[in-house]
Amino acid sequence: MTRGHAPNGPPPLPRGPIAWARRHLFNTWYNAILTLGALYLIALGLKAAIGWIIVDAVWLGGSEACHAAKGEGACWALIAEKHRFILFGTYPYEEQWRPALAVALFVAAVGLSTWRRLWSRALVVGWFVLFAALALLLHGGVFGLTPVSTELWGGLPLTILLSVIGIGLSLPLAVLLALGRRSSMPLIRAISVGYIELVRGVPLISILFMASVMFPLFLPEGVTINKLLRAQVGIILFSAAYLAEVVRGGLQAIPSGQYEAADALGLGYWRKMRLVILPQALRLVIPPMVNSFIATFKDTSLVIIIGLYDLLGAVRTATNDPLWRAFTTEGYIFVAAIFFVFCSFMSRYSRRLEQGAGERRPQ
Amino acid sequence: MHKFAIAIVVGLFASIMTIGTANAGETLDAIKARGVLTCGVNTGLAGFAQPDSQGVWTGLDVDTCKAVAAALLGGADKTKFVPLNAQQRFPALQSGEIDVLTRNTTVTLTRDSSAGFNFAPVTYYDGQGFMVKKSLGVNRAEELAGATICVQQGTTTELNLADYFRANEIELKPLVFVELAEAEQAFFADRCDAYTTDASGLASTRAAKAGNPDDYAILPEIISKEPLAPAVRHGDDAFYDIVKWTIYALIEAEERGVTQANVLDLKASQDPNIMRLLGTTPGMGEALGLDPEWALRAIKAVGNYGEIFERNVGTGSPLKLERGLNALWTDGGLIYAPPIR
Amino acid sequence: MSAPIIELRQVHKWFARFHVLRAIDLSVKAGERIVICGPSGSGKSTLIRCINRLETHQKGTIIVDGIELTERTRDIEAVRRKVGMVFQQFNLFPHLTALQNCTLAPIWVQGLPKRAAEEAAMRYLERVRIPEQAHKYPGQLSGGQQQRVAIARALCLNPKIMLFDEPTSALDPEMIKEVLDVIVELAESGMTMLCVTHEMGFARRVADRVIFMDEGEIVEAAPPERFFGAPENERTRQFLSQVLAH
Repeated sequence: MTRGHAPNGPPPLPRGPIAWARRHLFNTWYNAILTLGALYLIALGLKAAIGWIIVDAVWLGGSEACHAAKGEGACWALIAEKHRFILFGTYPYEEQWRPALAVALFVAAVGLSTWRRLWSRALVVGWFVLFAALALLLHGGVFGLTPVSTELWGGLPLTILLSVIGIGLSLPLAVLLALGRRSSMPLIRAISVGYIELVRGVPLISILFMASVMFPLFLPEGVTINKLLRAQVGIILFSAAYLAEVVRGGLQAIPSGQYEAADALGLGYWRKMRLVILPQALRLVIPPMVNSFIATFKDTSLVIIIGLYDLLGAVRTATNDPLWRAFTTEGYIFVAAIFFVFCSFMSRYSRRLEQGAGERRPQ
Repeated sequence: MHKFAIAIVVGLFASIMTIGTANAGETLDAIKARGVLTCGVNTGLAGFAQPDSQGVWTGLDVDTCKAVAAALLGGADKTKFVPLNAQQRFPALQSGEIDVLTRNTTVTLTRDSSAGFNFAPVTYYDGQGFMVKKSLGVNRAEELAGATICVQQGTTTELNLADYFRANEIELKPLVFVELAEAEQAFFADRCDAYTTDASGLASTRAAKAGNPDDYAILPEIISKEPLAPAVRHGDDAFYDIVKWTIYALIEAEERGVTQANVLDLKASQDPNIMRLLGTTPGMGEALGLDPEWALRAIKAVGNYGEIFERNVGTGSPLKLERGLNALWTDGGLIYAPPIR
Repeated sequence: MSAPIIELRQVHKWFARFHVLRAIDLSVKAGERIVICGPSGSGKSTLIRCINRLETHQKGTIIVDGIELTERTRDIEAVRRKVGMVFQQFNLFPHLTALQNCTLAPIWVQGLPKRAAEEAAMRYLERVRIPEQAHKYPGQLSGGQQQRVAIARALCLNPKIMLFDEPTSALDPEMIKEVLDVIVELAESGMTMLCVTHEMGFARRVADRVIFMDEGEIVEAAPPERFFGAPENERTRQFLSQVLAH
């Protein structure tokens, strides 16, 4: 017996694209008009976009070539000219293979880590080692690499560094804050609540601003703390407060029976949390957590206000050049594409994680 | 394994925290010990401080910094540039994060006194002006009553604008932006009737961003004095002197016809002024606590003041600014160096 | 063996203003099997949950195997290691397999090596007759299977005492038997146990003593023959007539 419909089952719907279109796009006369109208507008938009982005675009040459195009086509020559600065900022030109290698290693490591079979404690250690290695690679001063001070780091590696370390270190802090907020000890609860509410009540930009402008004035004269570190700490502290609320949501969604069962086994508070509650709670909040990660990734672009050239800041600075000033749009499109690739990877991968986790949940 | 990890962590921290010895009065020693001059520059202002396509800093402010490094440390490459925005620049200098602020900063009384800075000679005389759309039909700044004006926040520009309108008793409708680029964008998008910033900026903006530069006019009024000069902290006079006289040396070089190209040949010059400047007659460098060839190195590294100007903001650059007030005093400008003797 | 393994003296507990346990006196000998019944809200679950301090009592004394339950975390955890508990809603950990549910506490609380813990856990899973389900997740098991895994999980800590809190109430009727059979077997092995249940047949079969609670008090406590045959208290009679009616 094939999997055809049972004699007394519902009649099968007609299949195929035409049937689909008839059912969804042309089922009534006014839907048909709407469909045709929308198709026409989409075609118009596509034609204009393709014309601007591809057909009439200026791909190579100096800014004169672009000015000659009079805005008819995009000026991708800007990217050809400025991509090194946009991608790597003020990192010394001859040494830019280092940040390029660092990004490549990072992407490769991410690719490997998505492979479930490799998940183990060794992978976590591997990530720490990788980041130490990447930091050494960028910083230099060992193995005959020229030292490059962190003020010069910029572009894509900076964006990745700030956001990945920001995400990686804010999660444990967020978990502690969330646990603190649900703690039975009043002092700990008060500190957690106070911290979370205080930080959430303030925009990231003001935290970065305080870290960069106010903070140095409180230090004794002559003692300065690296600007990059200040920004990094600011980002970690900020995103931890938001993540903490996400994690708390997950903790609250775990039925009390799970806590009781763990208690009854005598696991004690920390083991109960680590082995029983958090694995479930964190899995529950993957979607909002990834949401938070994506926000952090994009928020790192605010470090421009403290004079670090992340990807977005590098584009802004690059298009400050009077010769290329008219073509900021193209620069922004270029980095938007890079941001999009990273963010959409995160959200797609998180969907896969959720589906994987779903198999294990009780029906 | 553990020891290795600890070593890495400690190493990272050591590289992250810099505990300098830049106490007041010790800046000079600290710079010499470090072997690098740290200059605060704009995060990106064409002509003054701007990383090029290879990420190399260029601009008039950048060249000033390089000249000081060449004179003091023996090489124009012994510099580190810290990009700073308008709000960060003074805390950065006060806290010792930078040694000298070469970031198109206007000299004012309060900055020179209560803020605790000393200003070196002016490297660029600017002034604030207005740009309008020609179709607006405005020919003079006084006619801007009730017009919306795009302006950047947190600079003297914003204050000057308010002062000018109050003094002339005209109604002011400012539209304030954190970033200069946003203010420009808003102006060209017709969100405001006029755009105000330093005259140097107006010309370059019109050239680069206007769809058709002829549609826009720069009004003749200059409503403020914006002398832009490097600044150092109070309390280290020796370092202040070096910054100050390096700039004077560049000006003197232009006046005496000493250029990047001919500076080595001119060591043989018999002109007593040039001999003192280039150290053929010793004494000047020693007076500053430097060696006799301090000025020679600075000129060799970046050229004289005129060359710096032309290369970065003058007619040879995309900004195409006239010398104007920034011509030598002998040509009717304000650029003037006291005698080097 | 004269000292009782569980001793409750004048235990009181309130939920806010609600007096849920009133002056409970109870003494359980090692190896004794006690069934607790009573109408809902009578405090029977609360009573056994006080024994491993999932609930805290506010007055009186509870001593379990020589340890008095107080605020001291160390004592509480010591008691919990000696007392296994099975819940009405099974409360298996859904992110772990049946086997992992069983080995969690032995590995992390008793510090057993993984291999030894798994071997022991398999023995208990065989005892509750589902070794073939060891590598499934709770979501893939039926209610009866889940409850049996829960029993195996509790047994893996080698407890001296087992507490059952309505172990069959959440089960479909056809699964009740498989779970009760396991508990009966356990009872016959000489385990000290306290079981809150409405299964009167089960009580009759395994209990050394049946306790009837109502409104936070122990109304009657007697061996099953006397409890079912000649209950002394009017409230007990009423309750039994209702329960045995169906």
